[in-house]
Amino acid sequence: MAKYFIKRFVVAIITILIIATLTFVMMHSIPGGPFTREKALPEAQIQILEEKYHLDDPLIKQYGDYMAGLFRLDLGPSFVKIGVEVNELIALGIPPTAKIGLFALILIVILGIPFGIISALKQNKPIDYIVMFMATLGVTIPSFVVATLIIFVFAGGVPALNWLPTFGLTSPLGYIGPVLALAGYSLSFVTRLTRSSMLEVLRQDYIRTARANGIREYKVMAKHAIKNALIPVITYIGPMIAAIMTGSFVIEKIFHIPGIGGYFIESITNRDYTVIMGITVFYAAFYIIMVLLVDVAYALVDPRIKFTKGKS
Amino acid sequence: MSDINKNKFVFVSDREKEHDEARKSLTYWADAFRRLRKSKPAMFGLAGVILVVLFGLIGPLFTNVSYSDQENDHRNLAPRLAIYEIEEGVFVHLSGDYNMFIVPEDGNLQVLEVYEEEEELEGRSDVGEMLSPSEMRKQREEEAAKVENVNLIKYMYGEEFIELDYSFKLERDEKGHDFDFAITYKGNTVNYPAKTVANKLYPFGTDSLGRDLLTRVMFGARISLLVAAAATLVNFLIGVVYGAIAGYKGGRTDNIMMRIVDVINSVPLVLIIILLMVMFEAGLGTIILAIGLVYWVNMARLVRGQMLSLKEQEFVLAARALGVRSRKIITRHLIPNAMGPIIVSMTMMIPSAIFTESFLSFIGLGVSAPMASWGTLANNALSGLLTYPYQLMFPAGAIAITMLAFNFLGDGLRDALDPRLRKG
Repeated sequence: MAKYFIKRFVVAIITILIIATLTFVMMHSIPGGPFTREKALPEAQIQILEEKYHLDDPLIKQYGDYMAGLFRLDLGPSFVKIGVEVNELIALGIPPTAKIGLFALILIVILGIPFGIISALKQNKPIDYIVMFMATLGVTIPSFVVATLIIFVFAGGVPALNWLPTFGLTSPLGYIGPVLALAGYSLSFVTRLTRSSMLEVLRQDYIRTARANGIREYKVMAKHAIKNALIPVITYIGPMIAAIMTGSFVIEKIFHIPGIGGYFIESITNRDYTVIMGITVFYAAFYIIMVLLVDVAYALVDPRIKFTKGKS
Repeated sequence: MSDINKNKFVFVSDREKEHDEARKSLTYWADAFRRLRKSKPAMFGLAGVILVVLFGLIGPLFTNVSYSDQENDHRNLAPRLAIYEIEEGVFVHLSGDYNMFIVPEDGNLQVLEVYEEEEELEGRSDVGEMLSPSEMRKQREEEAAKVENVNLIKYMYGEEFIELDYSFKLERDEKGHDFDFAITYKGNTVNYPAKTVANKLYPFGTDSLGRDLLTRVMFGARISLLVAAAATLVNFLIGVVYGAIAGYKGGRTDNIMMRIVDVINSVPLVLIIILLMVMFEAGLGTIILAIGLVYWVNMARLVRGQMLSLKEQEFVLAARALGVRSRKIITRHLIPNAMGPIIVSMTMMIPSAIFTESFLSFIGLGVSAPMASWGTLANNALSGLLTYPYQLMFPAGAIAITMLAFNFLGDGLRDALDPRLRKG
């Protein structure tokens, strides 16, 4: 078992290094330097700038410096925001992004799973149809459309429903819009997944056996059905983190939240290459580590997981 | 032979005849099609897809403007116009940009010229557009200090003037009027619109540059569908070949190839697409390439899995025994047998490609102006959302309908082509 964890950990580290290398190569193969602007800078000035940021070094040395910085968790300076380190941007951006991400996660768990279970228990009844209809809409309508609809309906477009602020997180009410829009897709997906997995479990023999043994219905559900039905839901955690992460790009833009996603989009529009690189590597590392943790937790919780997964 | 008494034979009845006739055996595809036709959501989905395709392909032939034509006077016109009756049978419409139009019966809008009284009317053009109430108040107070009754615009209509007093709109919060404007013509003042009529000139309204939204949404459909179809094709070509080779060769080749897939798949794919888009010049081709170059990993996994089980079957052994080359076995025997799941995966790929494309356009990495996909249109509408919500509703609705249609069709196809995956 320990061997499996160590192997997974090493693979994760190697993957992060590969991703970092790839982003470095991609960002340095862009035609024109980072200081190519519409209004051309004087040659001398570009030289000074390149010297300052060590862009006149041979590429291999730049790569070495970059990787060395990475090991010290230093992502370098921004080229556009003078005097700002990428690290600072990320540190500034984490709190709001983490907050709305976490709230979205909580919402997904406390709403998605119960809705899925209720829907499965009341299969083909009106409540099932309503829940499934909403869930289908939720997985098909892009989050930026949901976000703008929320703003329009609840933040001014409909005078009677003007309950929420249009942007920012200054008041607690400000969280409602971004969190709902961010959670929407995954919430619907988890609902659908829970429902279908619950229906599958309810058809199993051990449920019939439990009922035949005279165990009370709620106990059959709580002890046998729901526990087993949630296993496929856990495997969705990885993609869910990805969905929340990429969702936050647009949500933060729409609601003007100063989070990492917002900075990322801003750096893309400004062509701020070090920031793009830094945040990409940060996102990739975060995602890989989260998936690793989930897998480890999963392996510890579910004894049926075999540790020879790599061979299949 | 001739001794057999013919009377001993009895003719079979029609019913028995029917019984004996062998029913035509259904092929895999015929069976799948039959099942697909029975699924209502799938048929709805198919109808939706056909509608969207027709809308994008044929629609632009029926409009007489192009997606890039700008009509400066016709900025920000809503699809439904509130019209004021200034005189018996004469209706005017006031746009969000304070352009006034005569709206005749046939719906042809006729803009009225503003009567300029030297400097008095300066700085009024953008009032009421995107200002917060406090800013608005400030601006109004400043203006009121300068000239009394500056919130007045005069339009020329024939020999007479139509006067518009929009101070009511600005003071609405404090004074509690329930109307925004006072429109005076020949001494009669109108405060309330008589009715709202459909905008016959621009059924979907116009955007902030006076471009016809209907045409733009139609061209958006073209772009979104083109991107989706082409990206799916790229994804199909790379994914199927890659997966087939990995699955068929097996062993070390498979191991190395699938580790590469694992590395690509270990980061959110959208992130890689964004990097590719930043690296290359943004444009239609880049989007197609970026999406196609990244999403193939899922297809490769699926095809590899299919190959692993198919290659163990006897017909492959037979082909190999006959000396058929690997390449031919893969293309002639293995891939056609895996076509069902591949098609399902491609149908599911289309909505996610449409989504990714609109997502990219929305964050500003899309096709270059004046071309616009649905994502670009939605993004452009964002800044004026509260004032001109229709500019968002149409592209957003188009995205939602298309995604729904493709998802329904994909679900139906999955049930029809791959009964093993069917869920209860």
